[in-house]
Amino acid sequence: MNYKPDEGTLMAYLYGELDAAETEKVEQYLQQQPQMREQLQQMNNVRKALSSLNDVEVIAPPVFVDHEQHSIPFWKAGYFKITMGIAASFLFLLVAARLIGPEVTYSHGELRISFNDAPKNPVVEQSLTANEVQQMINTSLVKNNETIATNWEESNQKIQESLNKNLTTNSARIDKLISVASLASQDQVRTFVSGLQEENLKLMQDYFKLSSKDQQVYVESLLVDFTKYLNEQRKQDLILFQARMNNIEKNTDQFKQETEQILASIISNPEGTVRKVNNY
Amino acid sequence: MAETLPDIVMMHADALLERARQGDKNAQGKLVQVWYKRIYNFAYKFFYDHDLAMEVSQKTFISMHRNLAGLQEVTRFKSWLYTIAVNYCREELRKRKASRSVSLNDFSPGESEVSYTWETSSGKMDNPEKQLRQTELSDLLQQCLMELSAEQREVVIMKEYEGLKFREIAEALQISENTVKSRMYYGLDGLKKILEKKQITKEALGYEL
Repeated sequence: MNYKPDEGTLMAYLYGELDAAETEKVEQYLQQQPQMREQLQQMNNVRKALSSLNDVEVIAPPVFVDHEQHSIPFWKAGYFKITMGIAASFLFLLVAARLIGPEVTYSHGELRISFNDAPKNPVVEQSLTANEVQQMINTSLVKNNETIATNWEESNQKIQESLNKNLTTNSARIDKLISVASLASQDQVRTFVSGLQEENLKLMQDYFKLSSKDQQVYVESLLVDFTKYLNEQRKQDLILFQARMNNIEKNTDQFKQETEQILASIISNPEGTVRKVNNY
Repeated sequence: MAETLPDIVMMHADALLERARQGDKNAQGKLVQVWYKRIYNFAYKFFYDHDLAMEVSQKTFISMHRNLAGLQEVTRFKSWLYTIAVNYCREELRKRKASRSVSLNDFSPGESEVSYTWETSSGKMDNPEKQLRQTELSDLLQQCLMELSAEQREVVIMKEYEGLKFREIAEALQISENTVKSRMYYGLDGLKKILEKKQITKEALGYEL
């Protein structure tokens, strides 16, 4: 193998600053060159030895002194420059204007900047007197009044006409509507009443029908119940009667037997019997 | 080392950077809070000296504050910041070389401050003996680092302790990625020899690793 890394590459290898491919190359080379590997190992030992030299503790000065003056003089500040620029240009304009000879005038509500000579102001003629003005105003007022009056008249008439028209049409319409309504209402009432009557009649008939039927049923049931009651009564009476009859029969039997016994005893023992009878 | 706090914060820090870039003082303050420890430790390991490290970190962050608005790509912030730090480190190194007396004096007072820092900061190690050993070991390793050339030291610290990618280191130092890797290689090789020379073996480190 003829690859031989130079010192720089070896250093980069020692400090792990080589890329993977280069590292592999160097490692292969070191495997074949034990004395070179030994040398690097010794250098690494030196590094280890060096690592036991520690940092010295030191406290940084707390304040960093600033020697430079950073405040800007006011004539270098931006806003000052701008205002000064504007003022200077204004001054220049004024001076230039003065030299060329224009005039700036302010009169009668107008600002006039003129060059060379000032123009003559257009003179307003004061030919009208107060009376004339008054007259003019009066005439115009009168005219105005007239026109207003005529206008008012016209509009009034128009309004009147339209009102009348509307009134007549409206009243006619209302009449019509009312008559229709009344007609309609009479018919309706009639039909309604007749309908009511019919309905009532029907109702009454139904009611009567229903009630007569019910009454019939009721009366029938009453009759049936009464007959049942009578039957029951009769049965009871019969039973009672029979019981009485039986009782009587029994008594008569008993009496018969007693008399028979008495008779027998009398017959068999007339004396005793007599006594007995006497004892009775 | 790669999963440092700044790395984690950086993932969510694009917005913060953007605001800082537009001149937000709060965001800039936060950036300093986040990155101060890293830059300080980078400079500290580079010089093995607290004062110089403080000097470099302060200069770095002042420069960051001044030039942040000019940073075109937010994603390159990390390497950009290290560029500034490295440049200040080199500047300090030149000054030190120009006046030898300072550099000779530097060692012992620097160490005394270091030991103080270690004592206060390593509360996580409850065993004083262990703490002492750790301090000794740190001193030893730091001395080894100091024996490397400045160029190799920059690269080794950035790679090992700051967790930058080779590409980011190349950006920070404005050299090719291959040069960075080569410096790293010879830096590690040199450290190996220095450790052997000082008889710091794997076994000697074993109980700490």
